[in-house]
Amino acid sequence: MFLTEKKDAKEIDEALNKYKRIGIVGCASCASVCLTGGSKEVKEMEKHLVNIGKEVPFTISIDEPCDKRVLKEDIRFVEDELADTEAILVLSCGTGVQTIGEYTDKKVVTGVDSRYIAQTEHIGEYNALCGGCDECRLNFTGGVCTVTLCPKGLLNGPCEGHNGINCEVAEESKCVFMKSYENMSKFFEEENLSRIFSPRDYSRTIKRKI
Amino acid sequence: MKIIPQIETPAGENYIDFEENLSKLIEGIKYKGKKFGLNGAGAGDAIGSYSVVIEQNFGINALLLCNDLKNRHNNNLNIIYAFNMRDKNRVAILSDLITFEQLGLKNIIISEGLHPLKTVFYAAKPVYDIDVLGLSSIIKTGFPLLKDNDYVNNFSLFNLGVVVGISTPADFLKIKKLSKIGVDRFIINYFGDNLDINIINYIKAEKKPVFIFINESNVKSTLEEFIKKNLELNVDGIIIKILNEKSNIFTQD
Repeated sequence: MFLTEKKDAKEIDEALNKYKRIGIVGCASCASVCLTGGSKEVKEMEKHLVNIGKEVPFTISIDEPCDKRVLKEDIRFVEDELADTEAILVLSCGTGVQTIGEYTDKKVVTGVDSRYIAQTEHIGEYNALCGGCDECRLNFTGGVCTVTLCPKGLLNGPCEGHNGINCEVAEESKCVFMKSYENMSKFFEEENLSRIFSPRDYSRTIKRKI
Repeated sequence: MKIIPQIETPAGENYIDFEENLSKLIEGIKYKGKKFGLNGAGAGDAIGSYSVVIEQNFGINALLLCNDLKNRHNNNLNIIYAFNMRDKNRVAILSDLITFEQLGLKNIIISEGLHPLKTVFYAAKPVYDIDVLGLSSIIKTGFPLLKDNDYVNNFSLFNLGVVVGISTPADFLKIKKLSKIGVDRFIINYFGDNLDINIINYIKAEKKPVFIFINESNVKSTLEEFIKKNLELNVDGIIIKILNEKSNIFTQD
């Protein structure tokens, strides 16, 4: 799941300041799970916009607004209202916002902050385990991602800053390299224990279609 | 047992004044060395008789200061350049190393570096483009950094020190890798207890010098008491980071 957090209403209001007729699109997938863009949040946002004097021609929750195929199908239900809308407030991650902007060619405003790919512990409690860094090293690190879980994103750790138990930065957490070491030892991964990672190849990270 | 001050380059202070005060500090260390009956610092070692660690932070360029100190002290002072992986990417680090080598300097200490969240620059984006193991490989084994380029570095002759933790099996593993690569000395980030003496013994068995690194503010006793307390660790020296070259643990009686 991709974790999002609600934005401050003031920022949303300012972004929508010069628009009167505003549609609202929610996300029935990730943003719904983290209570930022489900049908309840869409209703709350509609109420808020009406309270500050806006018109809301439509509201809709799309299963996956980041998936163009799903978006094309679902957006047809509000086709007429969309034509008469000045801006769309999107309650989904940045991918959903941009997909809707690209597809509708309307002004889009995001109502949430995009955080990270998250593991859900409980509703409201999430962990970042994967940073989507283009080159997965989990096969060599005892199955824990040091790039994501180490605040310094080190490949070859630990750093000198831990106190023997806890991380220098995330003081309540154990150093991830200790976990990595324990896992590799547990599974007798001698080759991985002695491995030294070369510096990351960042040329891989810019191969994005723009 | 050597005692070595480490200081960051100044930000708001007049550079000439700073350099003069730093020279006074170095004289103060010589005095303290004699007073404690220490060998002040171990003549004959690559780090030499009297040493100072110049740490790059947000103040003036540390390489500039290293070069000035070298010229001013006529090679009678071992100058050690300390920098971290937090502030520069591989391009900037390579430039520093080339400059350092061209200036005829040889001693460097590298660390991953305190995360910006723990500094006054809490909102800065940390770099950590490469880590100390990666950089040690580049320095000591000539691991290539440049694509389709015939540049070959001469860094293998550097005296390379690396700041490490020595509390956990993961630290031990990292130290073994660093030692295998050819790192010349180890500097232990000191937290008090929680030290695994076996790791120090391993480093000593590898015939590599070991130093303790500590911030002056964490020395909760006099310098003499702190040195005595840590004699049993059998380390080769203590690097003490001072905050003010005019008033510090070395200049106070």
